[in-house]
Amino acid sequence: MRDSILELSTEAPRPRVNTSRAGLIAVICLILLASLPLFRPPLFFLSLLISIFLFVSLTESWNLMGGYAGYISLGHVVFFSIGAYTTAVGMNVFGASPFLTAVPGGIIAGAVAAIVGYPVLRLKGAYFSISSLLMAVIFQLVFLNWTFVGGSTGLWYKLMPVSIGANRAIFYEVMLGIALLTTLVVRHVERSKFGAGLITLREDEDVARTIGINTAWLKLKAFILGSFFAGLAGGIYGYYLSFIQPDITFNINTSLLILMMAFFGGCMTWTGPLLGAVLLSLTNQLIVTFIGAEISRILYGLILILLMIFMPNGIVEFLRARRSPR
Amino acid sequence: MELTFLAESVISGVLLGGIYALLSVGFGLTWGTMQVLNISHAVFAVLGAYVAYWCFVKGGVDPLLSVPFLAFLLFLLGGAVYRVVIRPVTKARDTVMGSMVVSFGLAIVVENIMSGLWHPDPRILKPSYTDTSLFIGEMVIGKGPLIGFAMAIVAIALLYAFLHHTFTGKAVQATWQNPTGAVLVGINRDRVSLITFGLSIASAGVAGVAMALIYSFYPSVHNDWTLYVFLLTIVGGVGSIIGTALTGLLIGLIMGVCAAFLPFIWVNILLFALLLVILLFKPEGIFGL
Repeated sequence: MRDSILELSTEAPRPRVNTSRAGLIAVICLILLASLPLFRPPLFFLSLLISIFLFVSLTESWNLMGGYAGYISLGHVVFFSIGAYTTAVGMNVFGASPFLTAVPGGIIAGAVAAIVGYPVLRLKGAYFSISSLLMAVIFQLVFLNWTFVGGSTGLWYKLMPVSIGANRAIFYEVMLGIALLTTLVVRHVERSKFGAGLITLREDEDVARTIGINTAWLKLKAFILGSFFAGLAGGIYGYYLSFIQPDITFNINTSLLILMMAFFGGCMTWTGPLLGAVLLSLTNQLIVTFIGAEISRILYGLILILLMIFMPNGIVEFLRARRSPR
Repeated sequence: MELTFLAESVISGVLLGGIYALLSVGFGLTWGTMQVLNISHAVFAVLGAYVAYWCFVKGGVDPLLSVPFLAFLLFLLGGAVYRVVIRPVTKARDTVMGSMVVSFGLAIVVENIMSGLWHPDPRILKPSYTDTSLFIGEMVIGKGPLIGFAMAIVAIALLYAFLHHTFTGKAVQATWQNPTGAVLVGINRDRVSLITFGLSIASAGVAGVAMALIYSFYPSVHNDWTLYVFLLTIVGGVGSIIGTALTGLLIGLIMGVCAAFLPFIWVNILLFALLLVILLFKPEGIFGL
């Protein structure tokens, strides 16, 4: 069960794919993605991609703690919601555009993460997961009863004074930017000393402390960073939804969906959550569109079960094992 | 007057807590012995409630009579689910997380099959005795909660007796205490897991019937129930039946006292905050072994 240290070391001399070529392909894909609205695709297609970008951002930012450090949080929606509520309050009370208040929203989410994380991060394993779930429930109940932020009736955003097509295109570009930024930062963290520290901590926290890693600070840092990006994405996505309400933004199923996407893709690399978020969102959407909402949920669950049965360690590891049999 | 109101509130809280305890016991059992965190646990409680409901509505069979039959049926179903769905995932590097994902999928499937077959409108089990009440002095206690509570206590006692006084039950306990050691002394771990999972699903089904005597149920209600299952299991200590049962009663007591003084919504906030504090200072559970 705990043989990943060995696996990591045996994998190190693995012949790398030609990185410069992979980089080139990635850049071309990104340019194509970014110029997509110019071709005037159907609006439905843009909204699908916007929700994929949201989940890429949420899953990648969740993965900092959930994947590398192995601290599976079920409370990631809290930071997403704090971001969304910050921009909504900023717009309704101060008249500030959410595009300006999204970053402060992320910072507030990070600050809340610091306050909450300091005690909660002392717990490990399932205890951490469940206390993060409790935290999400408490936040949801408080927001439901806090009249300043709309209580259970929620908050509306004022619409942008542009056509619906332009509106979608703007959100599309911004969400693409956020997803890209999150992925790049997570990728950078994975390859830095910070990421190595988190992985060490996942393998054995006591050993990590023994070799001089300040585990408490490291965990808190990763938790704050992840929450910042969740808040940032939430701030913009709330504006895109144009209406937020605690039952929508704090939905526990969203937390579980994030966890599943990361785990389905494989949570030891930055590519895993990316793949998981894209594939699971696409599958869900395609089933709903072409087979019908009635049985789509059943099929979605079945696909999830089958995939877990055949690839219990996620897609990325499954593909890797197929490519290089040890 | 004030005092009777408080007493009524406390008693109904404790009765409900007992049923939550039965619902949580099975969950803790699979977590402790198999490292399987079964998110779909409460979905099978809802399934149990539906089976009892249809037996009552279509066949006129009283829930109290159909419960043993239902428990057996769910035991078989649990065994099948273990074989098909859970066992492959126990080979993952991280069993806890893998089982969480796979059982989440399972919960979605079962919930949506139920709402497809029987429509998502709320239902309630109403045998003749749920409408009547017991009068003690000035207090009024519904018979529905009382019977549900009695059902829960009997089921917990049976589970406890099985674990402590039968050979198979002791094998389950041994696997929970030391999986490797259990395999070394010749316990068939796969078989133990099968039995554990079946029992856990069966106990969930009985708890579902007990719940259905008090509250209305619908396919997606399991999300709310799961939350309580998490709480009780963690606070009671994973895998400790007595701990979970006592925690259920304690939480019921707290809910009852709070409900007498506070608006309903603050009861939940207070309860969850209290549990968070318990988790922070005593993560092994207040009755942890």
